Amino acid sequence: MKILKKVKENSFCIVIAVAYILMFVLKPDMGVTSMKNSAYYIKEMLMIMPVIFVLTALLDTWIAKEKITKYLGKESKVNGIILSFVLGSISAGPIYAAFPMCVMLHKKGASVRNLVIILSSWAVIKVPMLLNEVKFLGMKFMAIRWVLTVIAIVVFSWVTAKIVKDEDIVQKEEKTNGLTLNKEFCMGCTMCSRNYPEIFGMQGKKAYVKSFDFEIDRERLSQTIMACPVQAIHYNE
Amino acid sequence: MDIFTAAMWIGTTVFLLFSLKKDKSKTLKALKMAFSMGKGMLGSILSIIFLIGLILTILPPENIAKFVGSQSLFIATVGAAAFGTITLIPAFIAFPLVGTLVDAGVSIVPSVAFLTTLTMVGVVTFPLEKREFGFKFTATRNGLSFLFAIIIAMVMGVIV
Repeated sequence: MKILKKVKENSFCIVIAVAYILMFVLKPDMGVTSMKNSAYYIKEMLMIMPVIFVLTALLDTWIAKEKITKYLGKESKVNGIILSFVLGSISAGPIYAAFPMCVMLHKKGASVRNLVIILSSWAVIKVPMLLNEVKFLGMKFMAIRWVLTVIAIVVFSWVTAKIVKDEDIVQKEEKTNGLTLNKEFCMGCTMCSRNYPEIFGMQGKKAYVKSFDFEIDRERLSQTIMACPVQAIHYNE
Repeated sequence: MDIFTAAMWIGTTVFLLFSLKKDKSKTLKALKMAFSMGKGMLGSILSIIFLIGLILTILPPENIAKFVGSQSLFIATVGAAAFGTITLIPAFIAFPLVGTLVDAGVSIVPSVAFLTTLTMVGVVTFPLEKREFGFKFTATRNGLSFLFAIIIAMVMGVIV
């Protein structure tokens, strides 16, 4: 069973490996070319990926998000728009990692428009990614695309706020008691299993809640919940 | 290593040293987080790179450029934008890939449309987004992002 599960988890990887084996058997020269093509991208990736990850983690750590989130309400106007752009541009992780945070911001009163700005800038205008874009496509290309994208987001976030009202955003109040961890948002960063290994463990690439029968250290738990970069952990009394 | 990559390494190292000096434990935590996230993604990233290597052998960039060039610009752009919505590759692989394609002669208008929808519109993440924000919000945001991706691309085609 365990092997089957592993195969299922890595099916994509296996398909690619099989395709390469077939290619090397049938058309060895094309196999060599494919390897050469891949090698170029792997080299580029290894040169840039460590920097991007470290830079993103540092930005994410040092910019006080709690302060920013206070100014995102409906009456926030231009300040709110700018802060939303900043928040989206400096945060770590893929776009779906922004969903739980935006839901929380909406509950705290952030406007629909600012939610759209955060999600969109989270997706397209990451600072480390802009640097990467300059490298491969040039400064002029990046700068023009950045300006146009910012203008586009300002416009269509306004349109979205006209179409979508606060009530349209579902307020699901699922009061599951106790400790829950939303695996779909987990990025496998292992923060929780490091902070509170008695309760959280890692299963493959995702974190899970262990079964435990001791009193939870509230202080430690709330620190662990805060430390989760995608806010996938929830605790209700 | 080109000057630009070197500058990024130096800048990040300086930032890192500064951060370590200011708060060592916080910085180490951030680094561990970055490392685990990278490790978790590495397998799928490598698979994607090997897939790209394979596709570029079967369909050399010059042929892709010829094919895209033979379509009308509008259709090529909408097609590239649509392709971007269903593709799941991290941006830091997308940039060198698009760089290769542009060097081979692919017009920048479809390239920009692809880059923008790739990150901003998500068909794969649509169900997840819908569950968190509701259908109306998700459909509006993704729909408008798609539309504006094409507008951005068209405007860039005029400027660059």
